[in-house]
Amino acid sequence: MIPRRLAKNGIALTGIVIVSLYIIVILVSFFWLPFDPVKIDADHLLEEPSLKTGHIFGTDEFGRDILSRIMKGSLVSLVISLSATTMGALIGVTMGIWAGYLGGRWDNWIMRIADIIFAFPSLLLAIFVMAILGEKTWNVVIAIGIVYIPQFARISRGAILSVKTNEFVRAARSNGASAIFILYRHLLPNILVPIIVQVSLALSVSILLESSLSFLGLGIQPPWPSWGNMLSSARKVMVLAPWTAIYPGFAIVFLVLGFNLLGDGLRDILDPRLKNVG
Amino acid sequence: MAITTNVEAILRVEGLVTGFRTGGGLVRAVEEVSFELHRGEILGIVGESGSGKSVTNLSILRLVQCPPGEVSAGRVLYGGKDLLSASEEEVRLVRGRNISMIFQDPLTSLNPVIKVGKQIAEAIRLHHGAKRREADARAVDMLRLIGIPDAERRASDYPHQFSGGMRQRVMIAMALSCDPEILIADEPTTALDVTIQAQILDLIRNLSAQSGTAVILVTHDLGVVAGMCDSVCVMYAGRIVERATVDDLFYDPLHPYTRGLLDSIPRTDSTGKERLYSIPGSPPNLVDLPEACPFQPRCPKAQEACARERPPEVTMAGRAPRTVRCWLHAGEDHHVS
Repeated sequence: MIPRRLAKNGIALTGIVIVSLYIIVILVSFFWLPFDPVKIDADHLLEEPSLKTGHIFGTDEFGRDILSRIMKGSLVSLVISLSATTMGALIGVTMGIWAGYLGGRWDNWIMRIADIIFAFPSLLLAIFVMAILGEKTWNVVIAIGIVYIPQFARISRGAILSVKTNEFVRAARSNGASAIFILYRHLLPNILVPIIVQVSLALSVSILLESSLSFLGLGIQPPWPSWGNMLSSARKVMVLAPWTAIYPGFAIVFLVLGFNLLGDGLRDILDPRLKNVG
Repeated sequence: MAITTNVEAILRVEGLVTGFRTGGGLVRAVEEVSFELHRGEILGIVGESGSGKSVTNLSILRLVQCPPGEVSAGRVLYGGKDLLSASEEEVRLVRGRNISMIFQDPLTSLNPVIKVGKQIAEAIRLHHGAKRREADARAVDMLRLIGIPDAERRASDYPHQFSGGMRQRVMIAMALSCDPEILIADEPTTALDVTIQAQILDLIRNLSAQSGTAVILVTHDLGVVAGMCDSVCVMYAGRIVERATVDDLFYDPLHPYTRGLLDSIPRTDSTGKERLYSIPGSPPNLVDLPEACPFQPRCPKAQEACARERPPEVTMAGRAPRTVRCWLHAGEDHHVS
């Protein structure tokens, strides 16, 4: 039922196609890359994109092939954004659903913690966390994950508040269900839709956050490529060799677009109010 | 199935008091409610909206939302234990396994995103720790028992694929899946249409007779009480005003409120010309009830004592247990022939 509506929904479908393309690129990059993405080649510095040399996206200031670096970097970007979103979602949803379910003082304490995190602009918070933890790949995941905690906490708390007043909660209690059972087996499935949509939107923002951190020199460290640090190093030569910035930029824009379309589409598909329309 | 006093009660409620703290003051929703339930008995609780029928039952299983609700006094004795002073975990184990409950609205009482077979199976696994497959098989058996055709296939349907009556059947299946001793049915047919009502009530009565499950049936339909119950509690303003066997209640109502209720039933032998009787006035606000009989302002037989003091619960002599809370019968030795 949902796959059929997915096929009908052009927005979601476009999103899926774009994201799938990136996944294919990642899979290919495991076995084959046009050039070594980290090998410095002094003979081919800042070469224009050309089919003849094989550098179809050109080379950077160290003579490294841009296409190879984008392909290698896509794995890093996707893995980081997936792990960070997963981390933020797990912690945030757990906090949110318990806050919403328990209510009262618990709700207050948990949500105030979330509010404190929420009070900082996301990039600033991520930079702050990276500065404390140090520049390691997994720390990027932690930094972005922390940024996501309050968003997931708020969404799931609100959703739990609206479903927990349902009669079936009382019916489950009268059947002897414990709080954990009610929360995870009865209520969580009821609020999956907004969470799924938030996950897909968070994925796109985390691509941007990761790129921003790497751009600022706090994320993935050179020589290992990420889209962000490619842009960062392109800054100095951008006027001379615009392709050093354009292609990594496109890589970011398209993946973000893909996740956004997917998120919008999913929201339309999964929204129960539209269930009988599509 | 006349009840006799020598049968041991399986559930005994004594002096139950439940209130709700609201902005307007303390609402005493249930006030000194006492009754007992015997094995296999079907006990009706009747009363108008807000008379405390549902709150009484929610209090028994400690399902009253707290705050604002609070069970402030009384005992609920089940299996040698007082459920009101037992730990939350002890009560949780009683719920569903020994005492289970079905609610008014079957449309919202089932989780919309879980398949019905699975919902029943989970209720079973909760208490018996059965394997998933055993529980699933038992769930299908239960669906078949309550008369859902093509039970195997229907078990993997979602609640919205069932009609209202079918959903209430599923609720009953879930409530009875662990062979409880007591089934509390809180207006099980209010949300259903009339033809389905009869089917559901028949189902409850038959299953109760088969398994010996005692039933507390909350309703505001005296016709249902007459047709199904062995004994009745009539509630008014949070109190049980009269408790009697069905026969005693219908043939010889003692409390003026009960009499009023019976007189308000349309009769098939009336000419259709006269107006249907209704009790004048409306139920009192339960916040700050005065020290008087709460029915006194509406009572056709009100005396001077009624406005001054709350009537005591008078136990009538007779072959079946019978109490009435009215000054008219205070100190009276009433014989039910």
